[in-house]
Formats: sequence, C-alpha cells, structure tokens
Amino acid sequence: MRIFLMQRWSAVALLVFLTLHMVVVHYPPGHIDVDRVLERLDDPLWKAIDIAFLVAVLTHALSGAYMVITDVQRFNVYKRVFAWVGAFTGMLLFIYGTQTILAF
Amino acid sequence: MATNGSVPTVTIRIQRFNPDVDKKPYLQEFQVKAPPGKTILDALHEIKEEQDGSLTFRRSCRHAICGSCAMNVNGRHMLVCDAPLREHLDRKGVLTLRPLAYLPIIKDLVVDRSSFWEQYLRVKPWLIPPENIPEKEFRMSPAEVAALRDAEHCIMCGACYSSCQIIALTKQYIGPHALLKAFLRVLDPRDSAPAERLADLDRGDGVYRCHTIFNCIDACPKNLNPTEAIETLRKLVIKRQAFEAARAERQRRLDQPIEIVGETPALSGGE
Amino acid sequence: MYRSTGFIAFVLRRLTGVALVIYLLLHIWVIGGINSGAETFNDRMEFLGKPFFRLLEIGLLAAVVYHGVDGIRLLIGHYFQVTEYRRGLFYAVIVVSGILVIAGGVPILLFALEG
Repeated sequence: MRIFLMQRWSAVALLVFLTLHMVVVHYPPGHIDVDRVLERLDDPLWKAIDIAFLVAVLTHALSGAYMVITDVQRFNVYKRVFAWVGAFTGMLLFIYGTQTILAF
Repeated sequence: MATNGSVPTVTIRIQRFNPDVDKKPYLQEFQVKAPPGKTILDALHEIKEEQDGSLTFRRSCRHAICGSCAMNVNGRHMLVCDAPLREHLDRKGVLTLRPLAYLPIIKDLVVDRSSFWEQYLRVKPWLIPPENIPEKEFRMSPAEVAALRDAEHCIMCGACYSSCQIIALTKQYIGPHALLKAFLRVLDPRDSAPAERLADLDRGDGVYRCHTIFNCIDACPKNLNPTEAIETLRKLVIKRQAFEAARAERQRRLDQPIEIVGETPALSGGE
Repeated sequence: MYRSTGFIAFVLRRLTGVALVIYLLLHIWVIGGINSGAETFNDRMEFLGKPFFRLLEIGLLAAVVYHGVDGIRLLIGHYFQVTEYRRGLFYAVIVVSGILVIAGGVPILLFALEG
C-alpha cells in the first residue's frame, strides 16, 4: 500500500533530517540562537534542505495520524474521507511552511 | 493454595454469562483439587459434572490438535487441554478463566467466531494447483518445506486472533491467522496463483494493518510465527509479479527429481 | 489485555507519535510568525526561550528519540528475522533511548537552569 511505503521512506529520510536538525539548530551553544537561525536560513541551500525536511515530516506525520485513526473500527469506515483530508491538510501545511521558509 | 491432606485445592474464577438471564458477564468462583498433571480442561469437566452443570465451554480432542478449547487464562490466550492447572495460577494462587477476547460472547466461555472465519475465507485458504498436475507426486525439497516454517501446523484455535491488539480495535483487519494461512499458500511450490493472493493482501486492512505487536507469537500453542510470516508477505507483495514468474518456472519441474542447487523462490522468500 | 513488551512498545510509539504531530502543528504555527515580520518572530522566540519551555524541550527530545529508535527497531525487523529477540530488542531500545535523552537532555537542563 502506498501509505505504508510512504511512511517507511519518510521515516528513513527523517532519521537523517532530524539528526541534522537537532545538531544544527537545537544544540550549540545550548539552545536556539535566533540570530544564527536567521543567518543560516539566508542560504538557499539550507532553505532547500528545510523544505525537503518539511515534506518528509508532513508525509510521516499525516500518514501516521491516518493509520492511528483508521485503526479504530468506528473511523475505519471513513478511511477515504480521512485520506483526502490528510492529503489536503498536507498540501496546505506544505504551502504555508514553504512560504514561511522562503520568508527568511 | 489451601492444602487438604496431600492434594491442594485451588480457586478457579470463571467468567459466566447467560444471555437469557444475565445483563452482563460476572465472575463465579469454584474450588477444585489440583493434583499434579491435572489440566485446566480436566478441572472444567469436573466443575461441570460435579458442581454446576450449566457451565458451557468448547472442547473436543483433549490433546491440542482440534483448537476448540482456546481461552483466556489469567489474561493470556492458550489451549486449556494442554495447560496444567498448577502451572497457571497467579500470584494469589487463583486461576481466572475468560472466553477469547474481543469476540461476542454466546454463553459463558463460548464466543462467536464468525469474524475469525470470514477473514480466513478471504485469503482463499485452499491450494490452487497448477494445470500440469504430476502423475505421481509433487516433488519438493526439504528446504522448500522448511521455508514454510511449520505454518501448516496451525490448528485455527483463535489464540493469536484474540491476542491481537489491532483486532481489539477493528474487526476489519484480516488477522494473523488468515495472513499465516496466506503465507503458507503463497510459499507453497504447488500453488499457482501467488500474485493474485498477494494482490488481495495489498490493502490497508491486509498485511499493512499489522503493527508488529508480537502478541500472536506469544499466544500460539504451536509456536508458530505469524509476525514473521506477515513481514515476508510484505516484502513479497511489492515484487509479486516477479515472484509469480519464478513460481511458474519452478512448477515446470514439479514432477521431476529434486536437484535444487541454487535458490528457489520459496527458499529466499522471493528475493 | 495482554501487556507484552511488543504492546508497550506499540503504545509508547503511538503516544509519542500523536504528541509529535501536535508539536509539529504548533511548531509550524510559531515559526510562521516570520510571515508577520521579524518583530513577531522575535517576540515568539523570546517567549519560548523561557526556562519552562526549555524544560519542555527535554520532553520533546525524549519523544523524538524514543519514536525514532523504536522506528529503527521496526526497520530492522522488516529486513532481518529478529522475532526471536523481540524482548531483548525492546530493552535495547529503552536503553539506547535513555542514553541519548540523558546525553542530550543534560545540556538543555543546564542551560535552562542558567537562564
């Protein structure tokens, strides 16, 4: 099933992206330094990395949420509705998120 | 355990429910003697014959091959004909018996297994033989049989099904029992429709609804491994066309002496 | 309900997953402050710099680490036949997660207590 494969692939991508993100953003010198964030996001390469990160995390989060919800009998019958809502939400968040990243 | 001379007496709590009379299930206590070697099923028979004739439970063969007597013993599913009474007492020395979990109760320890059987039928649990059936016998190597990992030992007792937390959440999930049977047929060198079977499982309520909780392995009285079977099926679903092509090739030699040198599809799980 | 190690792993994975989805939505919203100008963004970041939020970050770290390490366990299970070692693998996940959370959490804690 596509959703299962999407979840697995985005998971593998996130292992890389998240490690990178935690090390680069959340650690030195101990917490988030806003100036360093602004400086880093000036670089188009970092913008691209963050957009790719956003795609991976939205895929994984929304397909995961879909699995959790459709595991319950009561919601299982509305599988298609949830799938479309998830895809639509993902698109909206992707557009908003990319716009945000580009705004830096 | 209280001792009465040399043979201890134990308390057994059994979940009772008579839909004609009771509003909801309740636990009833019985006392039975527990000599060494007495099984839980022996105790149930004794209670029914000597203490309460209305106690209702399923059983048949008494030696762990029919699968009728699977029930919930202190929270875990097992065959009670195969379970020594003394070995399954909880910390307080009590045994609690409930019917198989997550299924509608018909009476006392008997449950309605319709969903279990319906899901089983969904995987077409019979052999689809090839067109060229050999005159004498189908020849398979010991390695090909070993690749089935004893899946043919399944007695359809329902212990795995009732232990599965996904079944608890939704009966749409096909279930570990059906997937194990599908695995058996898909890897069987005599079966000629693996791609069709794998396509049927390629659904949200098929192989992808298993969340690898492993309760099925813990519950199985025959030490089978539905989770491993499901992981193998997941890999095969992705390359089902190639697998069927390899199977067709293998079936051309089904009536010939085994000269298995390299890998066959079954041996490598389709890789 | 049978509380095997597989079941506990499943429940923790779900709980951390749901928590992380909620966090993600909040995160996207907070960072979205830049769309209303640098001042809004800086105000939000300053608010989140408070010690209380820095401590919550340790919780976030724990959720991400557990979810990720358990996920690695699932990936291993997909490619190798490891059901025989399922209990050992679960304990390994707990230990590895614990080590990573402590290694990562102590600097956050120290920094939070400083400020």
